[in-house]
Amino acid sequence: MITKFQVAYKNLFRKKIRTILTIVGIALSSWVLVSLLGFNQGYERALSKDIDNMGFQLMIMAKGCPYEAATMMLKGGTGLRYMDESMLSKVAQEPEVDKVTPILMAAVFDPNKGESGGVAGYFGVDPKTFPEMKTYFRFRQGGWFKDLDAYEAVMGYEAAELEQREVGDMILMPEKNIQFKVVGILDRTGTQDDGTIFVPLRTLQKIFDKNHQITTIGIKIKKGVDSAPLEEKLYQLPDVQIVSLAQVKETIMKLISTAKVMVLSIALIAILIAMVGVINTILTSVWERFQEIGILKTIGAMPGDIFRLIWMETLILCLAGGTVGIILALILARLTDILIRSVLPYAPTGGLVVIDGKLVLVTLAVILGIGLISGLYPAWKAGRIRPLEAIRREVSG
Amino acid sequence: MREKLSPSNATTIFRRISTAIAVPFFIFYLCGPLWAAVGCDLNDPDRDVERLFPESTSYRTIYTSIQQKGGDKLMQKVEKRLGDKFHGLYETIDVPYTIYEIYNNKKKIGYIHGVNQKGQFGGIQVFLALDLDGRIKAFYIQKMTSQYASKLRDTKFGRQFIGLTLRDFDGYDVLTGRASGKTEQIRNPAPEAEGDFRAALRATKKNLILMDEFVYSDQHQ
Repeated sequence: MITKFQVAYKNLFRKKIRTILTIVGIALSSWVLVSLLGFNQGYERALSKDIDNMGFQLMIMAKGCPYEAATMMLKGGTGLRYMDESMLSKVAQEPEVDKVTPILMAAVFDPNKGESGGVAGYFGVDPKTFPEMKTYFRFRQGGWFKDLDAYEAVMGYEAAELEQREVGDMILMPEKNIQFKVVGILDRTGTQDDGTIFVPLRTLQKIFDKNHQITTIGIKIKKGVDSAPLEEKLYQLPDVQIVSLAQVKETIMKLISTAKVMVLSIALIAILIAMVGVINTILTSVWERFQEIGILKTIGAMPGDIFRLIWMETLILCLAGGTVGIILALILARLTDILIRSVLPYAPTGGLVVIDGKLVLVTLAVILGIGLISGLYPAWKAGRIRPLEAIRREVSG
Repeated sequence: MREKLSPSNATTIFRRISTAIAVPFFIFYLCGPLWAAVGCDLNDPDRDVERLFPESTSYRTIYTSIQQKGGDKLMQKVEKRLGDKFHGLYETIDVPYTIYEIYNNKKKIGYIHGVNQKGQFGGIQVFLALDLDGRIKAFYIQKMTSQYASKLRDTKFGRQFIGLTLRDFDGYDVLTGRASGKTEQIRNPAPEAEGDFRAALRATKKNLILMDEFVYSDQHQ
């Protein structure tokens, strides 16, 4: 016996072009919807990962000091400000603080980089506390230096690649002409650490004559503790600036949320258009089969049967369109990623569009829900067709 | 007459659809996340091309690699011609090479090509400006970390390479540093940095061999 599904399916494919166009409309809407929702969760995840990858949630540095390597390089290694190392123990005593690590940034001019020279940056770090902050660091070769006074270096992936260094090789600090032995090469992290050369803190302090002076303190806050009261306390410290990465994240998310609302509105409009398309297709199909439905009723079909038959057609259209749209979104996620990256002022590393199973199911449910609502009116209209009226129309036709 | 959808037709259509879906999938998913090895580009191509090729009016950038041009077979050939294995973490088959094709109006007049080379204290980037016959027109060390870098980057040192071809470097043994013929006349301006001097010569020979494989052998064919 032929099932309702088969009848509905055959009905739809009597007008192939119209059916395909409707499916394309639904597919495009669901593509936009999935990509947007994927972007929604992907961006936040990537941004959080980037910020977590910094290893610390708060940074303290002397007022006016650049707080990351890129800015230091852009400024040609100038503008560094220092604070006393004793600040470290003061901060560590705060109850909200889990871990602290001192950092000394230093830069030298290398006249043999390109035509007009360039700046080479170094991070002096404590081999005991710094690795605890950067737990995601993995070594491609070697490991951390053990001694605070050693003339040893750990190189970020890109720094090592540019300098063609391997563990056991030597590097030379230009300007100072001091040699370091490479003891570790990090795996790629996708952060600024890839281009960084880490050396022991005390060694760098000695070279630059900055004994007991540092540029930055990295602070890791205890899990589940609100950082705001600590930030308030730290703001009271003289001549230092506080960079809260939670604040940075919040600001970026706020900036992005405006754009997200706009794009989400566009997606909703696309879905509404697709919905109207579904209603139009099914309604047209009902009118074209007016007599046929009348005959079905004369031979015993109940209004409920006709309603379910027409509803089934809507369901097939939405299921097909939704599935195609989701597949499109999955295939083109990377392209969407590239497009979004080209328009965003700041994009974190990692995938910006993350489409997982849960998102796929939710989107499919939304599309089916919207489709079923769109099918209500045509199905109800079809169910109310009176057999006599249908036959009379056939006779007069 | 409308064609009926036979099982074989349906299979063909299905295959076509699968291919259409699979191609972008492979492009965007599989090619995207791969991290390429580091290449060797001019820091400021507009300025550097003009300096190395004063008669140039424009240039075109081409990217290639040993993997792309001939894979393992080409790698072995290059190593044999060089007289040394490619070694270390960074001298690999997938290293991208940037070739700058130099034009005077519409006429191609030469090439600029650079290679990375491991030096004593850091990476050395050796660029050669070559005419259409593979003769060196200019020699340029873009980057070098050494106390004696200024001597090796000096134009006086670079001038010794002008006019040399790959044939002249056939007599240079990159492993022992023994030279014969024209390469024997290349003087090291910094005897204290013998390692970097040899590295510069190895880079030059490698550069010429790669250009011969990537460009000149194609031209001859």
